[in-house]
Amino acid sequence: MTYEEKLAAFNARIEAGDKIETEDWMPDDYRMGVLKFIEMHANSEIMGALPERECLPSAPTLQRKMSLCAKIQDEVGHAQLLYRVAEDLGKGRDAMFEDLVNGKSKFHNVFHYPVKHWGDVAIIGWLIDGAALVTQAALLDSSYAPYTRVLKRICAEEQLHLRHGEDITLELASGTDAQREMFQEALNRWWLAIIHFFGPRSNPDRDLLLKWKVKTRLNEDLRQEFLDRYVPRIVELGFTFPAPTPFHDEKAGHWLINDDDIDWGPLESIKKNEGPETARRLGNRKETYDSHRWVREALAEPAIHAA
Amino acid sequence: MDVYEVFRRTGHKEPYEHCGAVIAPDPDMASIMAKECFLRRGEGEHLWLVSRGDIHAVSKNADENVVADKSYRYASAYRDVVGKRERARKRADEVMSGSAS
Amino acid sequence: MSRALATLVTALADDELVLGHRHSEWTGYAPHIEEDVAFSSIAQDEVGHAAALYALAGKILGDEPDHLAFGRQADEYRNALLCERPNGDWAYTLARHWVYDTADDVRLESMEGSSNEELAALTTKMRREERYHLIHAEMWLKRIARGPIEGRNKLIHALEEVLLDSSGLFEPLPEEDTALTEGWVTASSQELAARFLARTNAWLDEVGIPIGPHSIAGERAEFVASSSGDLIEEAGPSLDEAHTSKGGGGRSGRHSPDFTELWDVMTKTYREHPGARW
Repeated sequence: MTYEEKLAAFNARIEAGDKIETEDWMPDDYRMGVLKFIEMHANSEIMGALPERECLPSAPTLQRKMSLCAKIQDEVGHAQLLYRVAEDLGKGRDAMFEDLVNGKSKFHNVFHYPVKHWGDVAIIGWLIDGAALVTQAALLDSSYAPYTRVLKRICAEEQLHLRHGEDITLELASGTDAQREMFQEALNRWWLAIIHFFGPRSNPDRDLLLKWKVKTRLNEDLRQEFLDRYVPRIVELGFTFPAPTPFHDEKAGHWLINDDDIDWGPLESIKKNEGPETARRLGNRKETYDSHRWVREALAEPAIHAA
Repeated sequence: MDVYEVFRRTGHKEPYEHCGAVIAPDPDMASIMAKECFLRRGEGEHLWLVSRGDIHAVSKNADENVVADKSYRYASAYRDVVGKRERARKRADEVMSGSAS
Repeated sequence: MSRALATLVTALADDELVLGHRHSEWTGYAPHIEEDVAFSSIAQDEVGHAAALYALAGKILGDEPDHLAFGRQADEYRNALLCERPNGDWAYTLARHWVYDTADDVRLESMEGSSNEELAALTTKMRREERYHLIHAEMWLKRIARGPIEGRNKLIHALEEVLLDSSGLFEPLPEEDTALTEGWVTASSQELAARFLARTNAWLDEVGIPIGPHSIAGERAEFVASSSGDLIEEAGPSLDEAHTSKGGGGRSGRHSPDFTELWDVMTKTYREHPGARW
C-alpha cells in the first residue's frame, strides 16, 4: 500500500469509530498528537500533586491527613499509568520528565496558581476534580485504545476524589462563619482558572485531536456540562461567584456565562509557563530531580557489589 | 531497569488479568511497587509480574478465510437438536411398537 | 494507673505522627514515580498508627485523638528528635526510615507481651505493617549500598548522621518505670537500645556497609581509635549526658528549631479554628 492508501484506510477506521492500538499503523500526525496529549495529561497529574501537597502538612485532622495523602498518591499513580501509555508511543519517561521540569512541555492551567488554606483543598478536591472528571469521562471514547483503558481506572478514582472533595466542602459549608468564609475566599480566587480549564471555544476544523477523535467533545460543551452540574450546588450552599458570574437562563434551561466576561489574559501567561507559581514549583521539582540523578543511576544498574 | 507487566487475580472465579505495568530495577522492587500501585484498594490479592521482554504477542485476523467449514466449534452449529430429538423419538416409537423400519 | 499509660502511649504516637508527617512531605517529589506511590502508603501507615495510639490514650484521658495530635503546645510533644529532622535528600530519608523502623520493630516486639490487652492487640497489628516497612527500607538500602559509588557514599554518610541521633529513640519514655512495673512494656529503653545496636550492627555488617560497631551515647563504653590506631574502650558519656547529646531531649519535650517549624505548620489549621469540624 502507498502512504496515501494507508492514510485513507486509517481515516476510514477513525470515521467508523474504530479503535487504534499501539502496534497499528498510524500517520505521524496522529502519533505525535496523541503522544503530546497524553504527555500533557500525565504532566498535569504529577504537577497537580504539587499545589495539594502544599496543603497536606496543615491538614486539620488525622483522618484528613491520611485521606488527602491518599488522594495525592492517586494523582501520582495516574501520572505513572499515563506516562507508561505515552512511553509506548515512542518517548521515554525520563525525557518527558526532563522536558517537564525544564519548562519545555505543558500542563493544565490550574496548577500554576498558589494555595493558601484548607478552602483551597475543598475547591481543588470538588470543583477542579469535578471539571477534570467531565473532560476525562468524555475521553473514555477516545480513538486511542490504550489511553481509554487507563482512563477507566483514572475516572473511577476521580469519582472517589470527587466524593472526598464534596465531603470536605460540605463540612466547611455547614461550619463556622470563618470556615464558610474560607471556602468563599478560595472560590473567589479559583473561579476564573476553573473556567479557563476547559479552554476557549473549540475549532473543529483546525483541531487535529477532534479530527482524529482523540478528543470527542467540544470544549464549550464540556464547560456547559460542568456549569449545569456544579453552579446550582454552589448556589444552594449560599456562596457567590466572581467574574465570569454565571446566570440562569430559564428558557435555555442552562447556567450560562458571558464570553465577554472571561478574561483570557492570565491563561496567556500560563501558556508561556509564566503563571504565578510556575517558576517556583517547576524550579523546586527540577532541583530535586537533578540532585537525585544518583538514585536513577543506582536503580539503572544491576546490583554489582556483593557483600 | 525493566518494564514489568502486572497481572492481578481477585478471588477464585476469574483468571489473572492485566492491570498495568511498573518500571523497576529488579523483581523484588517491582513486586513492592506493584503491590502499592495495583493492590492498595484491595482490588485483589495476587499479582504476577512479567518482564516485558518475556511477553510474546500474537494476533489473529478476524476475516481470515478458512478452507473447511469449522462451524463445529460453535454451539450455533447444533441448533437443529429439537428436530433431531423429534426424529429419534418417532423412530423409538416405531421400534418399540414393532412396526417395520 | 491509666493516666500514666496514656502519657506513655501518647509519646509513642508522637513518634509515629511526626515521622509520618515527614514521610508525607515526599509525596509528588520522590525520585522514582512508583516509589512515590509506595512511600506514600508508608506515610499513611505511620499516621494511622499515631491515630490508633492517640485513640487509645484519648479513651483513658477523655480526650479526642485530633486534639492530642494537633492541640497541644510544642513542648508537650514527646517524640524523639530523629523523627522531627527535615527529610534532607533521599539518602537521609532512607537511612532514617531504616533506623527508625528497626528501632520500632525492636520496641513493638517487646510490647506484644504487654499486660494491657488493648495495647498488646494494637501492637501486633502495627508490627505487621512495620515489618513490611522494614522490608522496603532494607531493599532500598541494599540496592544503594551495592550500587554506584556516589549513592553508596551518600547513604553511608546519611546512616552515620542518623545513627548519631538514634540515642534519642532510647531515652526512657515518660512513665517508663511505671510501665515496667505494670508490665505495659516488657523491656526498658536501655535494654531495647542494646537489642537495636546488635541488630543494626549485624545487618550493616551482612550487607557490607562499613559503619563499624557504633554505640549509643549513654552506653557504658565507646570504641575510639587510640594514637596507635587500635580501637580501645573508653568510658562514654553517662546516661544523664545522653539528654544533651545529639538527638536527645525529645522525651522530655525539648525539641529542635525544626520541630517548632513543623509544629507550627502541622497544627496551624486546627489551632486557628478551635472546635471546628472538618
